[in-house]
Amino acid sequence: MSLQATSTLARPWLTGMREAIPLLGGYVPVAVSFGLIAVQSGFGPWEATLISLLIYAGASQFLFVGMVAGGAPLWLVVAMTLLINVRHVVYAPNLAPMLGQSRRWPWLMHGLTDQVFAVALHRLPQLPEAQRPGWFTGAAGLAWVSWVAGTLLGAVAGDWLVSRWPLLGQVLPFALPALFLALLAPRFTSRRWSLALAVSIGVAMLCTLAGHANLGIPVAAACGALCFYAVRVPTPRQGGDDE
Amino acid sequence: MSSALWLAVLASALGTLLLRVVPLLWMQRRLARLHGKDGVEAMPRWLVLLGPMMIAAVLGVSLVPRDPDALAWAATAIGVLATLLVWRRTRSLGWPVAAGVAAYGVVVVLAGLG
Repeated sequence: MSLQATSTLARPWLTGMREAIPLLGGYVPVAVSFGLIAVQSGFGPWEATLISLLIYAGASQFLFVGMVAGGAPLWLVVAMTLLINVRHVVYAPNLAPMLGQSRRWPWLMHGLTDQVFAVALHRLPQLPEAQRPGWFTGAAGLAWVSWVAGTLLGAVAGDWLVSRWPLLGQVLPFALPALFLALLAPRFTSRRWSLALAVSIGVAMLCTLAGHANLGIPVAAACGALCFYAVRVPTPRQGGDDE
Repeated sequence: MSSALWLAVLASALGTLLLRVVPLLWMQRRLARLHGKDGVEAMPRWLVLLGPMMIAAVLGVSLVPRDPDALAWAATAIGVLATLLVWRRTRSLGWPVAAGVAAYGVVVVLAGLG
């Protein structure tokens, strides 16, 4: 997909859908896994699908069904689910200056996942304001539908799929880190930014290896931000590019 | 599912939606109050910084293979390299992702043959 600056699109929702296709490589295998695990945890296929439709936050859904299956008190299940999703609070304010006054935006925020945020932060500034709700509806809508459909597929036929095409399940999830990498690459504009981003990536990897992936996201982002403020890299005399 | 479990699903869904919507409404009010400044200027500086840092953090989490053995790490490293190389040439989103996934897949297949 090519991205032209401030391009005018004939059908922005269709462009949004097309540009969200790389997300599917990461979403569908994970959604299929969720459907499979939810059914194995005692939920019915439609119940698993409704959880994906309504909560629509991958990591917290795995925790939700896991804790319910383990017999945890429901208030604790809800509290932990929300705790994992707290990281979402920084996404919408980052996008708000680009969103305009359309009344659709609050409803569209249901589709604001980690991945959709990353793509939107990169893409929305390149579009005319009037086309942004359409683009976001297409991109977030496709991601949502793929997540819900993937869950249903996993709940109904997960076992069969995993045994039939094991390689797909192994390879496709790499689409997510590849996408994040392509989104972040333009941000490595100076030593200060590069160091802070590298710290954030490194801390998140260490947290994940230690088994705390969800906690790792806000912690790693905070470490990266602290690094940005703490480290003063001498700037060139001209074109100070550390901001 | 029992009624209590349905309530837990609905509470989690509503809570997650509020975590996504309320900060938007807060920021929209802030922008309206500070009209005249452009969007980035009106945003608290820490928030401008935190967006890319969150993406970097999610990248870090997703880079760790589900089964982190030597093969998965090697495939990840080569996939990352392919993604970055193609990004440098194309400066686009789609091709680097396709190249990264293809390179990752080739390593996995070749290792399976060996």
